[in-house]
Amino acid sequence: MSHGHVVVIGGGGTGAAIVHDLVLRGFTATLVERGELTSGTTGRHHGQLHSGARYAVGDREIARECMDEVRTLQRIAPEALEMNYGLFIALTDEDVAFAPTFVEACEESTIPTREIPVEQALRMEPNVNPAIKKAVQVPDGTIDAWRLPLHFFATAKHNGADIRTFTEVVEILSAGSAVTGVRVRDLATDREYEIKADMVVSATGAWAEKVARLGGIHIPVTPGPGTMVAVRKRLNNMVISHLHPAGDGDIVVPQRGLSIIGSTQWKTDDPDTVEVPKADIDYLVKRASDLIPVFSETPIHAAWSASRPLAGASSNVEDGRKMSRDFIAIDHGTSDNLKGLISIIGGKATVLRAMGEKTVDMICSLFGVEEPCQTAETPLLPHRAFYNSRLAVRPQEVSL
Amino acid sequence: MSNATHDPATLAEPALRTVVFRIERKQRAAADGSGGWGEYEVPVKGHTTVVDALEWIKNHLDATLLFRHSCHHGSCGTCGMIINGVQKLACTTNVIELVAAAEEAGTDTTIEVRPLQTMTHIGDLAVDPTPLFDHFPVGASYLRPSEANKKAEIPEEIDHYVRFENCIECGLCVSACPVVAIRGFMAPAPLAAYNREIDKRPERADQLLPEVDSDEGVWGCDRHLNCSAVCPTGVYPAKHIAMLQKKIQKRRDG
Repeated sequence: MSHGHVVVIGGGGTGAAIVHDLVLRGFTATLVERGELTSGTTGRHHGQLHSGARYAVGDREIARECMDEVRTLQRIAPEALEMNYGLFIALTDEDVAFAPTFVEACEESTIPTREIPVEQALRMEPNVNPAIKKAVQVPDGTIDAWRLPLHFFATAKHNGADIRTFTEVVEILSAGSAVTGVRVRDLATDREYEIKADMVVSATGAWAEKVARLGGIHIPVTPGPGTMVAVRKRLNNMVISHLHPAGDGDIVVPQRGLSIIGSTQWKTDDPDTVEVPKADIDYLVKRASDLIPVFSETPIHAAWSASRPLAGASSNVEDGRKMSRDFIAIDHGTSDNLKGLISIIGGKATVLRAMGEKTVDMICSLFGVEEPCQTAETPLLPHRAFYNSRLAVRPQEVSL
Repeated sequence: MSNATHDPATLAEPALRTVVFRIERKQRAAADGSGGWGEYEVPVKGHTTVVDALEWIKNHLDATLLFRHSCHHGSCGTCGMIINGVQKLACTTNVIELVAAAEEAGTDTTIEVRPLQTMTHIGDLAVDPTPLFDHFPVGASYLRPSEANKKAEIPEEIDHYVRFENCIECGLCVSACPVVAIRGFMAPAPLAAYNREIDKRPERADQLLPEVDSDEGVWGCDRHLNCSAVCPTGVYPAKHIAMLQKKIQKRRDG
């Protein structure tokens, strides 16, 4: 028997992990997305699978969570990852002086590091700036930003989740002070209809404020777009990061036949009208060339921007349970007197599964049910199984 | 992340010119008497892509426009469309380059965009790619050894550098294949996936080759080579179909 019906709004990485976890724990789940899956922020991710090394100096807890999730994703979705490790490279004496702090922070965050002699690092990554003064290896990798979430969607769908794309929520329905469902529009037919629900979860990130407004609630979320640039050649196999305190344009992520530099960040009012500033492209190419000189001579393949959500300050955000240091779940029953509505803001692609787990833990506690999370031990189905159940066979399961 | 680089003034960078987009919107035809096409004037900059232009139309002119997009850098394969008569990814198709090509050829600079054929139509430019996955091989791996920096040393934790397969399952090849349009055919992308899988795991040849050894399979290819011409990621599906034919022939002969 189902514990209840939960409607998830938003088909990004967070929604993918939540809907997968919900059906595994015995809920009935419907996910609605106004466009194609991962058409908001998730799909435009530059694709770094974060060991957590980048965050370790600033926040060991986030770093440790990243490392845990790298290990988990290697088990449950190996085909959505290029697991080639990463090098943090020091370019200046200042960078070299920063290295011990960096390595210590990684170790305290359970991230294994290994110093690689400069000559060897250049043999591993021949296109890296030959003037590097130090190199430290960490377990970074690359995510397929479309196919990793699709692994979660495929598995959720296989387990009974109802996933509806091109379906936009136009109203959050309530009776008294409790949510009763959503009113949606099928954008292909312009037909509007209601979906009844015991709980509604808005996993809409940078769009969380727009969606909450449909229920008459204000959440201060500032879209924080960032630009990325890809060149049309795979220049590196390992993720190459600048060994210094994290800043703009200091990571080159390889992916398929491309190398991608990310990222800048600015603030805007509307996550829908973000454009790519030409100045960002020039800046990023220059920064990438500090790490990999040939980057600036390689033809540009694409430049794009993605709206990440920055949670602002207000009473409901402060009331929101900090599920991790960088992602917040707001129970609007507590903060805004509207029971049955939760908003999720923030998070990272690498830790999508953990975000799903913590959100569904909160949902279980609100429903008063005890169901342990199984997602860390449940291998995900291949991405193609989303479109064809015949393809729900993992490569390692093929019988000969 | 620091916020040192961004000058908001650059967001207001002026457009280079205005370009007209003519977009097929079949389901709107009966409702508004438009004949199934919408025309939109879009201000474009040097780096504006077709997907950027479609987003601009959706945000500024007509919020009802439907299209698929996700990664905006040619990796996910969701934004395949027919642009000026050719199957392309909208996110890596530069608008100014299309206009320059039209001007050089002395033709109309209006950019015409239609949805991919051979998939299930959702609305406007959006399609459901489910039919694309009808004939993919079961249990095929999506990873391959990386060929970048071939002689490079590897971290001791791994056997070799890996990367995702070239095929991003965008369906451009299937839409461009003249055989798919006229008779039952497994289609280029799925057949290419069969050859890649057998190359990576030759022990699966006995199981997989019979699945493509038919008139609907590799013998259905008429070698128009449109698939290889439109492929945005250099898969060259026609080459893989020819290699499968050779593998089957070799088995028969041997």
